[in-house]
Amino acid sequence: MSHPSPIPFHGFGLGLRIPHYTDFLEAPQPIDFLEVISENFMVDGGKPLDVLMRVREGYPVALHGVSMNIGSSDGVDSHYLRRLRRLAERVDPLWVSDHLCWTGIDGHNSHDLLPLPYTGEALDLVADNVHAAQDALGRALVLENPSTYLAFPETAMGEAAFLRELCARTGCFLLLDVNNIYVSATNHGFDPDDWLERLPLDRVRQVHLAGHSRGRDMLVDTHDAPVPDPVWALYARFIERLGDVAVMIERDDSIPPLPELLAEVAHARDLADAARQHVA
Amino acid sequence: MNLRDRQRAFASALFTGTVPEGVDPRGMAVHANNYRSQLVACLRDSYEKTALWLGDGVFDAAASRYVERHVPSSWTLDAYGESFIPFLEQAYPADDEVAELAWLDWHLRRAFSGPDADTIGVGDLAADDWDRVEIDFVPTLRFRPVRSNAVAIWRAIADGVSPPAPVAVEQGVGARVWRNGLSPQFASMTADESACLDLALTGASFGELCDYLGRTHDQERTTRIAGGCLGAWTAEGMIRGLRR
Repeated sequence: MSHPSPIPFHGFGLGLRIPHYTDFLEAPQPIDFLEVISENFMVDGGKPLDVLMRVREGYPVALHGVSMNIGSSDGVDSHYLRRLRRLAERVDPLWVSDHLCWTGIDGHNSHDLLPLPYTGEALDLVADNVHAAQDALGRALVLENPSTYLAFPETAMGEAAFLRELCARTGCFLLLDVNNIYVSATNHGFDPDDWLERLPLDRVRQVHLAGHSRGRDMLVDTHDAPVPDPVWALYARFIERLGDVAVMIERDDSIPPLPELLAEVAHARDLADAARQHVA
Repeated sequence: MNLRDRQRAFASALFTGTVPEGVDPRGMAVHANNYRSQLVACLRDSYEKTALWLGDGVFDAAASRYVERHVPSSWTLDAYGESFIPFLEQAYPADDEVAELAWLDWHLRRAFSGPDADTIGVGDLAADDWDRVEIDFVPTLRFRPVRSNAVAIWRAIADGVSPPAPVAVEQGVGARVWRNGLSPQFASMTADESACLDLALTGASFGELCDYLGRTHDQERTTRIAGGCLGAWTAEGMIRGLRR
């Protein structure tokens, strides 16, 4: 199998959500690309696909999934992948991404991003699944680091080392969610800069920026709030080292009016410009 | 513990609200909350008008009981509420309108993203031998007999006006849901229309619909009802073709 060449830097984008459909259909907006949740459009027809294809006329689109179940001992679901491929052929996306996690086993689906034990056995399994998914989709996958709330006693390596080896074995790319790194680092007490140091930065295709909330015992990746200052600060440090990489604001709940999110996109762009000047 | 055993133990704990061996209960609590709250939110979204009819507290209690008994299995969260209608029928045996509102909610949502289809217009209604003509409906069309005025209740809730009190309706009356263009639609049907649609969907010809109506109506009324159904179904974007 041959994967298409990597698509380079695509600027600064936004996750497309229903309250903003009209904004994007009625007038050009100052963003470079949109990301959509794949599963919302893996449907037979109707308004969702109609809107997506009209939006696609004006913007490059990335497909971001939550149900590939790439870390499951069940293996990947060929029915799911056929539907995703059909959507990708229709949309011609910048790339197709999902999460380094599992969502279910034995035919059940939690619809939650469940954590993996970072072991050699898990690495072998996920690498096999990524190969199978890439073959089924005919393209390289982009995988996102999830927020994690627990670790397993059998864990043998760090998440960044796991991702590094996964990229080396499969040729997949990475979606770096800065909020998720912040949430995981806070919950588990590790240094996010050290985490980044261990990551293969040349494999990072996209960055997510989002907010979180404080649960009773730990931070929770709710994506329902503006990007908080500590996540902006981490992004400002990361983007210096990442260079030109697609950056996106991701809001999944408590969706505000579009201008509020466009202001966050503009801030992400400003910080990247400042980092570029600093490096130069 | 190997990975498969780990994942089975974790999933089992998640679905039953327990904590698997060797796992931080605080982290497990986050996943347990994500799992349950997402499924209840999914049901509330899929059954929006039913939730408004029952009220948040009653609906959420029913949804929580459903979540306890139904582990999702589809790749899409949209499919999770598929068994909620029979669940509500059992939960509210004396309140027909509850499950019937849920049926409307569910099938309007399915129609929203169901398969596309081109439809014919009234001007395309031509045939040499109407007796043999079979009707090809859009793939999003669904119908059911109803025992309550759920259609009127659903419409009132959607319009933001005070819904009528639930009442029983004439036996044989039905409701239909479909999508016209990009817009999901619903309507109530008389017992005659409901029976005709049932027959037509099972492949009966237009002549067979007329024969059925002719058992209880004279010829003039039979022609008027059958022609009225065909005209309405066509004008409302329910028919994609005639098989002659």
